[in-house]
Amino acid sequence: MANTDYAYRRLVNTLWPERVSRTEFDRMVYSHDFASLPKVALLQWRLYPDFVVLPQTTEEVASLVKLSDESGLPIVPRGGGTGWYGGAVPVRGGVLIDMRKMSHVRSFDPATRTITVEAGMTWQDVAEYAEARGLTLPSLPTNAMASTVGGGINSDVVGYGSLRNGGLRQVVADLEVVLPDARVLHTAFAGDAGGAYADLTPFFFGAEGTLGVITAATLRLIAKPDLVKPLAYAFKDTPAAATFLGAMVDAGFQPYHAALLDREHFVFERALRAGSPEPADMVLVTLAGAKDDVADQEKALDALAPKLAAAKRPPQEAEDLWAHRFMMYSARRLSRGLVVANNVVPLSRLGEACRLSRELIRKMKLNGAVHAFPMDTASAILAPYVLMDDTTPSGGTALGYVKKLGDAAFELGGHPMGLGLFMVFNLRRMHGRAAPYTAYVKSVFDPGKKINPGKTIEVWTKYQFPGLRAIPPPAMRVGLDVAAALRRIKPTPDKFVRAYERGKEAD
Amino acid sequence: MGLLRDWNYIEAATEIPALSEMIREALIHALFVRNDRVLPREIIADLTRTPAVTVKIKDDADLRKLVQVLNGSESTMSLGLDAEDYNYFRTQLGVGKDREIGLTVRPHALLTYDWLVPEQRGVQVDFSGYEGMQFPAKGQTALAQVGLPWKRLYDEALAKGHLLPAVPTVPLDFTVGDAVWGDAPLASYDAEFDAYVNAVRTISAFGHRTRVGFEEAANNGTGYDVLHGTLPLASEFYVPLEVGLRLAPKPAAQKTLTYTYDDGAKLSASFDKLARTGQRFPWVHVADAAAAAVLRPGILADPFTVQVALAGTATGLPLREKALDAALAGYKVKSAEVPDPFGVPAAEYAKAAKRAERGLFVGEVRLPAASAGDLAARLKGLGQQVAAKVGFYASLRASGTLSAFPFFDHPKDRTHIYDLSKGVARLVEKIPGAVFVSRLAHLWNEEPAYLARMRLLREIKLAFDSPHVLEPLVRP
Ligand SMILES: Cc1cc2nc3c(=O)[nH]c(=O)nc-3n(C[C@H](O)[C@H](O)[C@H](O)COP(=O)(O)OP(=O)(O)OC[C@H]3O[C@@H](n4cnc5c(N)ncnc54)[C@H](O)[C@@H]3O)c2cc1C
Repeated sequence: MANTDYAYRRLVNTLWPERVSRTEFDRMVYSHDFASLPKVALLQWRLYPDFVVLPQTTEEVASLVKLSDESGLPIVPRGGGTGWYGGAVPVRGGVLIDMRKMSHVRSFDPATRTITVEAGMTWQDVAEYAEARGLTLPSLPTNAMASTVGGGINSDVVGYGSLRNGGLRQVVADLEVVLPDARVLHTAFAGDAGGAYADLTPFFFGAEGTLGVITAATLRLIAKPDLVKPLAYAFKDTPAAATFLGAMVDAGFQPYHAALLDREHFVFERALRAGSPEPADMVLVTLAGAKDDVADQEKALDALAPKLAAAKRPPQEAEDLWAHRFMMYSARRLSRGLVVANNVVPLSRLGEACRLSRELIRKMKLNGAVHAFPMDTASAILAPYVLMDDTTPSGGTALGYVKKLGDAAFELGGHPMGLGLFMVFNLRRMHGRAAPYTAYVKSVFDPGKKINPGKTIEVWTKYQFPGLRAIPPPAMRVGLDVAAALRRIKPTPDKFVRAYERGKEAD
Repeated sequence: MGLLRDWNYIEAATEIPALSEMIREALIHALFVRNDRVLPREIIADLTRTPAVTVKIKDDADLRKLVQVLNGSESTMSLGLDAEDYNYFRTQLGVGKDREIGLTVRPHALLTYDWLVPEQRGVQVDFSGYEGMQFPAKGQTALAQVGLPWKRLYDEALAKGHLLPAVPTVPLDFTVGDAVWGDAPLASYDAEFDAYVNAVRTISAFGHRTRVGFEEAANNGTGYDVLHGTLPLASEFYVPLEVGLRLAPKPAAQKTLTYTYDDGAKLSASFDKLARTGQRFPWVHVADAAAAAVLRPGILADPFTVQVALAGTATGLPLREKALDAALAGYKVKSAEVPDPFGVPAAEYAKAAKRAERGLFVGEVRLPAASAGDLAARLKGLGQQVAAKVGFYASLRASGTLSAFPFFDHPKDRTHIYDLSKGVARLVEKIPGAVFVSRLAHLWNEEPAYLARMRLLREIKLAFDSPHVLEPLVRP
């Protein structure tokens, strides 16, 4: 490996000094993503990158990737840094590529209804650009405000619109990728070939930055609907709300979006924002389309609702919920930290899944809320979140919840979402005998393990000595099982809301 | 089936000194028509070989055993090695058969034509008796064995309260497997067939039962989407046995509406407009007069017949119908009497399939909906040039793409197939935004980005199939 001063000079020659940083502060900022990591993790991984770089063009990204052959430093691509499982942080330092300066629209074609954007643009910005021109994205991540195009694809996220219009996989027509050998590849045929001509795009969904650096994406757009109308219904409990979601889909409704938010979510919201809706187990259904069609669907849903013991809430409440849809995790302010357990479960078992989510929250003495939504006619996202304060001894143990709920998702015929750095042990359980296929794909794209190494299919440590180089995935699993067990023996439940309110009064 | 094998063979053939001077297309032509005046005898022999045996699969244990025999692991039992280790040692030691003994699957109904390079003396598996299906008590999914006729699955799903969203644009008697390894053009208005596949139960090259994807839920966030990355060429990566499908609920109310057009320009304008409205339908199909005559013989068809499946609530349907009428303005006649081609009894569907399969199909033309009329006119011109009756079936996508399948009333010999494929490829070049998708078109294509992708895909195939049993790559 070349020395870091030399590597720094080479990086500066490529990007100019203002887009290369090695300050302690910048390196610290980039040493974590949305996941709160206990300090002890630094014993295991070199989470601080050696350099943070901000390329502006595909050529610059290719040069950076090429440079890594000389420097021996691994490359870690990063978008908004909002991932939950450490996908965008280094394990052995290296060059962290922040893609957010690549945030321009390259072309927009209303005739073919496609847009080509740079990978550092947020989904929300893409949607706004299209909407100003009468079109919109068929679907976008629930975190569209901060999630970049490249980050969303690499995380294989699901979000608004997928129930009606299909998920992001159907939105992406082509990707421009800088491969680990610095070649620039288009993953699909230019034009709609319906997956023909060796379409490699699917491999990049869920790749978590380990196959190459996405620099641009061509996305499909649809007509902007005449009307978007949110409706809110309240239920006696969470499983009843979940049953409503399943029954609604089985009855043939495929609204733009439909989500369950449990009572606890609103308890947290209320503590932070007085005007937020009265706590209740709620379903938010968002209809989109022609005015008369939306009106008809609303009528039909209103007819279905009483059969499933749903009480319609006032329109302002629905509007408020929809307006705050991108601010799902304000509750983080109550506790300093928050973890999300993101899973896919069969929609037909969502009621059971929600019940289990709550039960685990109770058993583990956590403060948490359940959030879930159907992603298509058969699957649902189950994404409860729990609050944590990682400055307290019991804080990090909340990660045990993610593990335990993931186990429950498997039992229900689904699976947890995301592997990143902490959840790699799930790979084998997810895919069984097909698990090695993942490693085969990585070995074809990145035989030298240059791009975001030591994650997704394996867990490296910062050490390079034999025997210490990697953590066997089962060891991580045991670690999280221990965390979960510690939570259970914790004598008292967390009381973040009360503590927060006391703090407010004291102020 | 073996697109990678065909492509790899051609790549290798261009490196043979005797053939390296030939331009690629002439070589492909010679290989396709098996021109023995141009090609060496050994190559002709490669192209005319047939699998040594055909094995009819009744259960997956048969297939596992077969794959294990082919990959050699059966004979290594005494060493106690498993298939991966056995193969590693074999590769390391350079021990190998001089020709791989491969396994290939036989499509039930093939829309276009056979692959270029047949399985070289290996085993052909026939799944025609492997036709079970399961519907879980709750939820919108099904598990279908690959030999199951598509129509049977469609009917059974309806009977159980579901809708199988992907329907064939050309109504042949396809099996589920034909959509996975063959060329069955299944799609809905929203998406291609692949989007409805949640999982495939397979036998791997190592002879293991291997599930790719999740049967009851989508595979998002589980690492690379290997399922959808390999599905278009599935049988070159694993042997698919059962397909886990995502269904839709049977709509509360549905209706099939038929609109005829006497003019291609009006059809183009209507389709373009329809796809821009954001409305949703199970499917939207169009047949020109020749195709409509095949579907409904005895009826004097207008130049274009559009059929649209409408679904929704009983009260919402009239609203959707009104919006549809407005989008399709310019039609000549509208009717609600023409039956839904997929809802008819199985025997009737089979009869239509028999008539449709007589056509010589060359592949799919994907083009902007606004160019539908242009395609029709150009196809007519081609028909006149080659003195053959020509027609097309097509389906519209919400994205505004029209997926069209031209056919010719011509004997299905290889020379005609090649020449007509070339003819269609040429006319497609003249339609802005159009692309011709066929196996021959894949072989002709020399675009560097595509070649780079094919090389990567070939590497992935070789990694999945390191024992070289799944339609193994062949060199001349
Ligand atoms: C409020 C909120 C809601 C969320 N909702 C969801 C949800 O519903 N579903 C869900 O799955 N996740 C969700 N997340 C998690 C996360 O936001 C998403 O996964 C998000 O799409 C990540 O985007 P990002 O740009 O922040 O990526 P990052 O966190 O920066 O990176 C994610 C992964 O992608 C890689 N990557 C990023 N950019 C590139 C690139 N250009 N090329 C190659 N690799 C790249 C990184 O290396 C990393 O492995 C949510 C997070 C928040 C804070």
